[in-house]
Amino acid sequence: MMRTSARMRQLQGVGLVLITTWLFCLPFVSTTTELRQHTQIIISVLAVLGVNIATGYGGMISLGHGVFVGVGAFATGYFVDEMSLPWLLAISMGIVTASLSGALVGIPALRIKGIHLALLTLCMAIVFQPLSKRFPAFTGGVSGKAIEARFEAPIWLGDSRMASAVYRYVFCILVVLFALGLTWNLVNSRAGRAMRALRDNDTAAAIYGINLVRTRVITFSISAGLAGLAGALQVVLVPYVSQDNYSVQESLVVYATAVIGGLGSIWGSVLGVVARTGFGALGERLSGVDGFGLVSEFFELLDEQAFVFGVGLIALTFVFPRGLAGIGTKNKQQTGS
Amino acid sequence: MDYVLLLQRIFDALFNSAIYSSLALALVIIFRATGLLNFAQGEMATFSGYIAFVFLVGPQPRLKGGGLAGLIPGVPLSVPLAVMGAVVAGMAVGAATEKVLIRPLRNAPELSLVNVSIGLLLVINSLMAQWWGTGPRVFPALFPTGAGQNFDIFGARLRYSTIGVWALLFVVLICLIFLLKRTRIGLAFRAVSINQTNSELVGIPVGRILMYGWALAAGFGALAACISANSVLLEPSMMLRVLVYAFAAATLGGLDSPKGALVGGVIVGLSQTLIPAYVPFIGFELSVLPVLIAMTVVLLVRPAGLYGTKRIERV
Repeated sequence: MMRTSARMRQLQGVGLVLITTWLFCLPFVSTTTELRQHTQIIISVLAVLGVNIATGYGGMISLGHGVFVGVGAFATGYFVDEMSLPWLLAISMGIVTASLSGALVGIPALRIKGIHLALLTLCMAIVFQPLSKRFPAFTGGVSGKAIEARFEAPIWLGDSRMASAVYRYVFCILVVLFALGLTWNLVNSRAGRAMRALRDNDTAAAIYGINLVRTRVITFSISAGLAGLAGALQVVLVPYVSQDNYSVQESLVVYATAVIGGLGSIWGSVLGVVARTGFGALGERLSGVDGFGLVSEFFELLDEQAFVFGVGLIALTFVFPRGLAGIGTKNKQQTGS
Repeated sequence: MDYVLLLQRIFDALFNSAIYSSLALALVIIFRATGLLNFAQGEMATFSGYIAFVFLVGPQPRLKGGGLAGLIPGVPLSVPLAVMGAVVAGMAVGAATEKVLIRPLRNAPELSLVNVSIGLLLVINSLMAQWWGTGPRVFPALFPTGAGQNFDIFGARLRYSTIGVWALLFVVLICLIFLLKRTRIGLAFRAVSINQTNSELVGIPVGRILMYGWALAAGFGALAACISANSVLLEPSMMLRVLVYAFAAATLGGLDSPKGALVGGVIVGLSQTLIPAYVPFIGFELSVLPVLIAMTVVLLVRPAGLYGTKRIERV
């Protein structure tokens, strides 16, 4: 368990207040498009949290969480459109489908560990796109498909586009907060201690009576379910699913965000996404700058998420192996596998 | 059953087998020496492919002005020279990667190494996309592939390019075996692969030897990229799917066995072509699925693969 110093705790408090104020003010100052983009960022916390649960708390390296985001999105789209289920039910079914697919990966993860699991999940992420093209009924094939159903604000909120955008924004924030709270409780509960015990030494954990099979499979399905929820909320926000959004790079950026934020810390996942947003905004600003020659080319690179996160991943491994959330924590123990 | 067609499919598959075998060899060389799976191997290989491309037709940056790069004239080299140049440049990149990124992390946990190789994958991929764009580029074939340039064997066509690629691979392999078995560096490399601590104690410069290993691996990767760039077209993500097959080949053969990588590459290449051809449900898009399942099963049931060293775990 990480010990956080009093000073860090204060910093965290300040950060929390800042984020809350920011979230509160956003609907008043932004257009519907901006609000949608910000909602997408908030949703992405869930996928990052999913990786964190599997890798940070469970010790199972997962490079393929984009796959579960995709499964969640495709399933939600299918249930809400083809089966005409109400939204909340469809979202739940999306989570369940993603969790089940997560359990499917969790089962081999019982025996396949460390770098071999990383290999398997990476291959899974690479294969997901061609695979989803093969089942156009669910995924819309190469070009993707539009979802007919809309997640609209109830009539008493008015029927302007802004009202719907704000409604979706608030809904997604509430869901994300709920998921964060639930995860925080989970990792600090008996089950969460079992996960961490398993990560640090599975033989010792087994001796203490922890059921290895059950804990591993459940950990992986919870983490996949969180990623699936992110996918489901994406459909809530933009009624369109396409395999285009679930490339390998996407999966790896989610993983990189989790590592950069700090594995084994819920706060770290939020921090990772905040850092990603900050760098994204900075990159966008800089890429507009007219430098000359190589300089402007370099600035343009900063706009590429994959590049910034690749560099960040390497740099942090050297400087702060425990991620942004690990800065200032007093503990010599290693996280991860 | 149409035996001529079967033979034809096997001949066609053998070309891809050579690609998978050589990329798998690259993975195995590094895994054997360091216990690290280099997830960025495919991107490093693609980068070498682009270097060959630059040698052939010039930098061709995506950006209109191209910055300073637009000023660099093309170096019109012949194809074999360009490939050789790309292999050498790729080896330099591999060596530099080991020296700068991997060596400082020698005592770091496995997760750190995974992170670095994933970071490298992302960085190289986006660099290539930035410089050359994501659109596919035409790359010349290393060996003649035109119509009629083939042997007729029982009515099936065995193309010159397939034979050429395998001949090339065998020549390189013979050089590799000579290097490993007959030279001091090879001896040192084998020692380091077996036990790093003991090698250090007898005075082998482990770091430098590992750097040679990375260079060697990157060389095989570059070769794989140059072979495949003609058929899959040169683009930043072209080796990602190939990487899956190569990982499958390496796993199947045993992650620490060069012989296994060769045999695994042939098996994976054959199954990639033959299974979709005879199982209609799988079709072309799902051709990677049986390979992935086979890899999972091997990792589950027999992690040592066909020829790998069995690891005994303390329970």
